[in-house]
Amino acid sequence: MSFRHILAITRKEFNHIIRDRSTMILVVFTPLAMLLLMAYALTVELQHIPIAVLDYDRSATSRDFVQQIISGNDLDLYQQVGSIAEIEDLLMHGDVKAALVIDPNFSRDLLAMRGMPMQVIIDGTEPESGGFAVEHIAARAEKFANEALSNQIQMMGFSEESLQPLDLRIRTWYNPGLKPRNDLIPGLISMVLGFPALSVALALAHEREHGTMEQLMATPVGRAELLVGKMIPYIVAGMVNVVILPLLAMAWFNVPFNGSFPLYFGLSALFMFAIISMGIIIGVFMKTQAAAMGVSFLMIFFPGFFLTGLFFPIVSMPEIMRLESLGMPGTHYAIITRGIFLPGIGLEILWPYAVMLVLLGFSFTGIAALFFRKKLG
Amino acid sequence: MTPAIITKDLTKKFGDFTAVNGINFEAARGEIFGFLGPNGSGKTTTIRMMLGLLPPTAGEIQALGISVKGNQAELQQRVGYMSQRFSLYNDLTVQQNLQFYGAAYGLNKVDLKNRIQDALAMAGLEGRENAKTKDLSGGWRQRLALSTAILHRPELIFLDEPTAGVDPISRRAFWDLLYQLVADGVTVFVTTHYMDEAEHCHDLAFIQRGNIIARGSPARIKETMMDGQVLEISTSDAIKTVKVLRAAQKAGKIPLKEVELYGSLVHVVAPNIEKKINDIQAILKKAEIRTEQMAVIEASLEDVFIASMK
Repeated sequence: MSFRHILAITRKEFNHIIRDRSTMILVVFTPLAMLLLMAYALTVELQHIPIAVLDYDRSATSRDFVQQIISGNDLDLYQQVGSIAEIEDLLMHGDVKAALVIDPNFSRDLLAMRGMPMQVIIDGTEPESGGFAVEHIAARAEKFANEALSNQIQMMGFSEESLQPLDLRIRTWYNPGLKPRNDLIPGLISMVLGFPALSVALALAHEREHGTMEQLMATPVGRAELLVGKMIPYIVAGMVNVVILPLLAMAWFNVPFNGSFPLYFGLSALFMFAIISMGIIIGVFMKTQAAAMGVSFLMIFFPGFFLTGLFFPIVSMPEIMRLESLGMPGTHYAIITRGIFLPGIGLEILWPYAVMLVLLGFSFTGIAALFFRKKLG
Repeated sequence: MTPAIITKDLTKKFGDFTAVNGINFEAARGEIFGFLGPNGSGKTTTIRMMLGLLPPTAGEIQALGISVKGNQAELQQRVGYMSQRFSLYNDLTVQQNLQFYGAAYGLNKVDLKNRIQDALAMAGLEGRENAKTKDLSGGWRQRLALSTAILHRPELIFLDEPTAGVDPISRRAFWDLLYQLVADGVTVFVTTHYMDEAEHCHDLAFIQRGNIIARGSPARIKETMMDGQVLEISTSDAIKTVKVLRAAQKAGKIPLKEVELYGSLVHVVAPNIEKKINDIQAILKKAEIRTEQMAVIEASLEDVFIASMK
């Protein structure tokens, strides 16, 4: 391998990135924009869900109960109705996502400690909102029942504590308060860093599409030199993001960064090497930029979403998908970023994932170089 | 000195399709060798094999005295190539293109700097180093591509349809550059389908469907390939003239080899054409076509090309 040849390619590729605004945007700004967008889109908290109430009981207790439920930002009372038919109408029009039907015996049964007869009807076409309404009503009902009954219990001579058979105190480590963004954003970083890999695939396909590949092949620059020279600028561009993204996460989303930054930087470099190698493989096989784009989404982003354990736990995947996820650099890197951001763990635990990234990077580059030779001409 | 290129039974098959069918030729050093043929006749495939970019199915190629097979690395340093589509990076500047190709051929800083100066002078692009290549017109781009392709001072250069889509004045300027290269001892191997350019080559090969159908200097090809002479006729109605003469030929009234429209003129080819002038005049008169001028002319390569393609 000639250093001069690699440098020639690397320099040219840097010139392309600097000259071509769309590549620049794709490599440097898209990951930032995607992180912001996905962080917001994927952690939406449900609020102000409209519900209807049909109160057959019409007692002071049932009215108090309805007040309890709609106090706060979670559920809004859209309308008090008089019949099931009206509920159906409201659900059909999408005016409400759920309806609460209170049984005529609600207050009587409650005070007799026989339960709280009621029904929640939800719009099954929007299970998210409906399910949220059910959970919320159930939680409120429990609280309401406890309060309503406590006086009565004391009058009967029991102490309040004796009614609580379990005293469960949950403490969440590493992410106190279980803020979904704290966990999601470090993982998302591994996904948005796929964009430099997409760019390198496009850059290779571009050469083939515009006929410059043939010209390159007539020069003394070797195949491996060409591939390595191409990878370097995109790894560097990716590393710019590796630095910016956690700063954004900390400053904008208040995500804590408890680990070692040099370790994060070093392991990120390994990830960039692995993911850019994947982009190189795509660029080697695809003849047009359109094809390279499509396949990049199929091979880098979709698996990044579904296979790397970001949203769906890997342990609950079928065997074959678990194996497949091992071949995705994102799987290992998501573990690394989450580990360094929140619990702040070090190389003594993360080394197997680092080793996997190195193995994947060299395998991918090797495959690319092998097939690049044969694809020529 | 050995010839710049020697091919022996050079063959390339893509599946069932034979793109190049056992061709043999030699190209002498320090000359312009023209490789002529219609689109899809195997010109580019042949060039790619000579550059070592495509392995031949059978046969051998020697370039600059050594076998292409196994010596690709050495030859790539000694050979230049300008591929069909000018092969420059349009988003980069003139300077950046020159720098890149110079570095790709391993030139050191000092050499590179001097040669970029030479290349700019040759392409006539001094003072426009920082222009984006895509902002240059076709003729400038093409001259830049040529000066880029010879930055490393190759002994042999392959040009694949270098003038396709370029205006005639730029084409002429480009050929002046080629003569300059040849004067410096470089061998130029050029493919084209412009017949006027073919006339400028020292040596020619006609390729059709993968076979070489004619070889030699332009003058020799005209002599040997042309069965007969060319009669150029100017009439009141060229299209009607072609129709009438072809009808007469078909009906067996007059033994003509070719009747072709050449702009507003008609070219008729036949052996001993002088003896047929009277007959032709009679036929035209009968068809009420007025003959303005008639003369036996020297066959152009285009006449030969069309005659031999049939």
